[in-house]
Amino acid sequence: MYMNTNTRIIAPEFDFAQPKSLDEGFALMDEHGADARLIAGGTDLLVQMKMERISPAWVISLARIDELRAITAGKGLSLGAMASIKEVSVAAPVKAGYAALAEACNAYSTVSIMLMGTIGGNICNASPAADTAPALLAFDAVAVVKSARGSRRVAMADFFAGPGKSALKPGEILTAIELPEPAAGSGSAFLKISRVVADISQVCVGVSLVRDGDRITDCRIALGSVAPTPIRIAGAEAALGGQKGGDAVFDKAAEIAARDIKPISDARASESYRRHAARIIVRDALKTAWQRAAEGAAK
Amino acid sequence: MLSTEFKSVGDASWRKDGIAKVTGSEKYAPDVSVDRMWFGRVLRSPHAHARIKSVDTSAAEALGAVCLTFADVPQTRYNERIVSTPPCLYRDRTVVADKARHVGEALVGVAAPTEELAEKALRAIKIEYEVLQVITTMEQARKDGAEPIHDTVLLDGKDKPIVNNVAVQRTIDVGDVEKGFAEAEYVIERSFKTSRIYHAQMEPKSVVCRPEIDGGITVWASTQSIHNTRILLGQIYDIPLSKVNVKKVMLGGSFGSSIQMNSVTPICVGLALKAGHPVKIATTREEDMHDHVRYPSEIKLKLGMKKDGTLIAGEMHANIDVGAHNIQAFPFLGGLGGFWASLYKLPNMKYVGTAVYTNKTPSCAMQGFGAPQAHFAVECLMDEIAHELGADPIDFKLNQYVGLGGTFWGQGPASKCIIRSDGVPELLKTGAELIGWDKRPKPGSQTGRMRKGIGMARGFHTSGVGHAKASGAEMIDYSGAIVKLNEDGTVDLIQSLMDHGGGTNHAISKIVAEELGVPTHMVGLSPCDTRTSLYDVTTHATRGIYAGGAAALKAAKEVKAQIIDWAARVLDVLPESLVIEPDEDLGQGVIYCPNLAERRMTVGELARYLHLNSLGTISSSQSMRQVNCPPAYVSYFVEVEVDTDTGQIHTRRAALGSDCGTVVNPALASGQLIGGLSKGQGYALTEDNQWDPETGELVSKGFWVDGKTPSMSESPKVGDIDTHFAHTYEPTGPFGAKGLGEAAKNPAAAAFGNAVYNALGIRFYEIPITPEKVLAALAAEKSTKSRQAAPKAPAPVAE
Repeated sequence: MYMNTNTRIIAPEFDFAQPKSLDEGFALMDEHGADARLIAGGTDLLVQMKMERISPAWVISLARIDELRAITAGKGLSLGAMASIKEVSVAAPVKAGYAALAEACNAYSTVSIMLMGTIGGNICNASPAADTAPALLAFDAVAVVKSARGSRRVAMADFFAGPGKSALKPGEILTAIELPEPAAGSGSAFLKISRVVADISQVCVGVSLVRDGDRITDCRIALGSVAPTPIRIAGAEAALGGQKGGDAVFDKAAEIAARDIKPISDARASESYRRHAARIIVRDALKTAWQRAAEGAAK
Repeated sequence: MLSTEFKSVGDASWRKDGIAKVTGSEKYAPDVSVDRMWFGRVLRSPHAHARIKSVDTSAAEALGAVCLTFADVPQTRYNERIVSTPPCLYRDRTVVADKARHVGEALVGVAAPTEELAEKALRAIKIEYEVLQVITTMEQARKDGAEPIHDTVLLDGKDKPIVNNVAVQRTIDVGDVEKGFAEAEYVIERSFKTSRIYHAQMEPKSVVCRPEIDGGITVWASTQSIHNTRILLGQIYDIPLSKVNVKKVMLGGSFGSSIQMNSVTPICVGLALKAGHPVKIATTREEDMHDHVRYPSEIKLKLGMKKDGTLIAGEMHANIDVGAHNIQAFPFLGGLGGFWASLYKLPNMKYVGTAVYTNKTPSCAMQGFGAPQAHFAVECLMDEIAHELGADPIDFKLNQYVGLGGTFWGQGPASKCIIRSDGVPELLKTGAELIGWDKRPKPGSQTGRMRKGIGMARGFHTSGVGHAKASGAEMIDYSGAIVKLNEDGTVDLIQSLMDHGGGTNHAISKIVAEELGVPTHMVGLSPCDTRTSLYDVTTHATRGIYAGGAAALKAAKEVKAQIIDWAARVLDVLPESLVIEPDEDLGQGVIYCPNLAERRMTVGELARYLHLNSLGTISSSQSMRQVNCPPAYVSYFVEVEVDTDTGQIHTRRAALGSDCGTVVNPALASGQLIGGLSKGQGYALTEDNQWDPETGELVSKGFWVDGKTPSMSESPKVGDIDTHFAHTYEPTGPFGAKGLGEAAKNPAAAAFGNAVYNALGIRFYEIPITPEKVLAALAAEKSTKSRQAAPKAPAPVAE
């Protein structure tokens, strides 16, 4: 019975903590265990609490832990988990080297969500429709995860376990997302189809490829809203590796992607429309990334 | 008309509520808070159709909550929209229901000291349901043996049986339609379908009720009419109107969804009276999406004409789904038929409108009220006929539209008037030039992925529902205003008329300033309530400026006469020799005698003189009904770009024209047109509230995330939307003004349909035209073409 659920009132009571350091945060998480939920920007968590999909006794905010907000460029790029979608979208190194990620962040379109929502929250919420996920998958990003017991690195491809489920274990906090340095001749693109611009995607895609002359030497293709998690399409990637770039192979890869995804029908789109649209945007994203790779090489 | 002959009317002054709105200091109904206030929540049915066998509120009461069940409320049925007169008012509702007729039907009200406690108490209530057959389509509803949603309704004091779930039927006959079709040389018939969309107004409905020590109540509510809310609450709870005070609170948008007293308003009053506390109910978005939608329609339209396209006969069958309650199907059906009759000259016509109950959210008024539905069918079909005949749709329509000297039906057969101002030819000429009509592609001529097309539709809305009859009206239509001169020469305008956000109240202050000859800034808009203001029916039917403005003008004229009269005595001249004009340098109105330059004084000096000599306050209180309902014409030219790969339709350019007579607020009038485009685009392309056919649940479940309306991102770029105004003067309107608001939306869906046809060569008869529908139509066309074209050579082999 959904009739009396709503997205305004949080009826159950809960306690709230704002640790100032990671260690303080780990201690709180260990103390409250499964009764606690971390809150980053809150754009998803608060809605789930209002709808009573979750009713945590403790909500622990990461907003006061300054080190989680940094965006630092070195050989690659490190995005603090608490960097807002807006901050990521406008960061110079993101715009310069990771076009697909900048485009994914801009695809949120709603200013308030971009300012409140964080890149880490978007990933930890583990929605199959998370806009940043296909871009991060395409860049082969790595999640840096810490707890009182140490730290570990999780490849983005292993991070999503199911709708709303991530690879995080009890007591762990996602602190940063690291993106490797783009190889010479790289190009990337993100595309999204939705009913209106400010909307959850019907289907979205992130691609990243490396171009050597007229050949594709490396390629990653990831899609969102077409399976229980954001997914990479190995078959489509294999169809492109080592091939001459061009419309024919891009069409072929797009067809494989449309075949290999497992979309459902829901309020946003039918299964058949998702397959159709996936084929179109995979092809278009590949074309754009291919073009960008050439432009990058020309510089 | 953009006028230079006026001082205040048509000026670019900032709207009076502008600063409060942009700084966030404006107070809307959800912001109202009073001492000792409790909070209310409403338990709503999870079932689309169910009898209530028992209600157990004991656990909720044990938590400290007060509950309002069917047993606690007056059981006489009412209709929440008392714009119609009793013979036209179908009453089928009580404050809370004894039977659930749609998912979201209010069954029990709950009040507690905090909203969270009210929410918890609400969940502690136990209801036993007897689930009944769920009826979600009109076809199901009309079948013999279908479960009756209402057995009877109350009409003019008598029980009226409801047969086959038909809420009401209306027919209109003009001339001899059979003879007309017999004489026709060409007949075309098409079926159209329009969707059931949510209003998506910014403010979810809110209400605060404070019980008073004298047995009365004070109410702050989201409403388009404080007086109708007052009258209804007085009737339902049997409180004399002198003790029912409804306060005017800024309305955070409505699009027609607050034309009726909102369903939570009487629940809040019942809770407050029972609890002995002020109670506030602020509905959630999810509740609101289960509370009201636009009337969806299925329209079969047949037109008969001579070989040259001259229309001689028309027949329309319109079926509308009213949902679980009949809020205003009778006037709606009249409106739809009347708007059709007023678009093009039809000597013989037959109209049958049928409204059917289903177990879904009740349909109610929404921007255009029957006109968008009529416009979609008629304007698309006229475009199709013009193309069939090889005629330019503009010329074809200009030759046959109902214009100057014709009869306009201002929302049904009961309100008619002779058309005295008509800017249609100018609008179509200007719009065609702005959009580049002559350069539009030939339909179906493009082959690439992205295909552009230009579409045109025209139409109107009425300006109010005024009429000449002295009795026997179907609808109430009058407004009141009080204008008084303050002791410093400023003016107070006291008017209950609500502003939906379009700037109506500001516009009327300009009309008063214009008449009095004082600068706009000197006329203040007074806060008011039902005890201190005159009756106004409601802000609907695009009547705000035309009808409400006219009432204020009537009061201003009386005030001006008194000012002149007193000034003539003080200045020792004949009153006929005096004029009043605003002096921007003095910031005052100046009264002077053109023939005797030294005989002058400011309005402020006169006001002070009257005050210090105890000569009284100059004021006037006037009430009036317009006896006309002139058409507010509008023209739409839109350019779309269809992505034939994704099926998405993008709006690239638009030229929107309005004949609102004199333009009172130029920037806001332009904004109304642009807003109409945005809402119209959602109606035409994206919005469609789907109901589960089995359960009667809203597929979006009321979550805004799946109730998508277009935003700025979907609009053409600012420079790509042109707005323009006809140079007309409506002789029956205040300073030549007529309406605009609803007209801004009415032809939108047809313009989009015609533009998509121009781009693809494919007609769509159902809105919204979604990407899925576009792809399906393209695929169907492709398979038809490949079947038609016999293969002459082997199919090319891909490299």
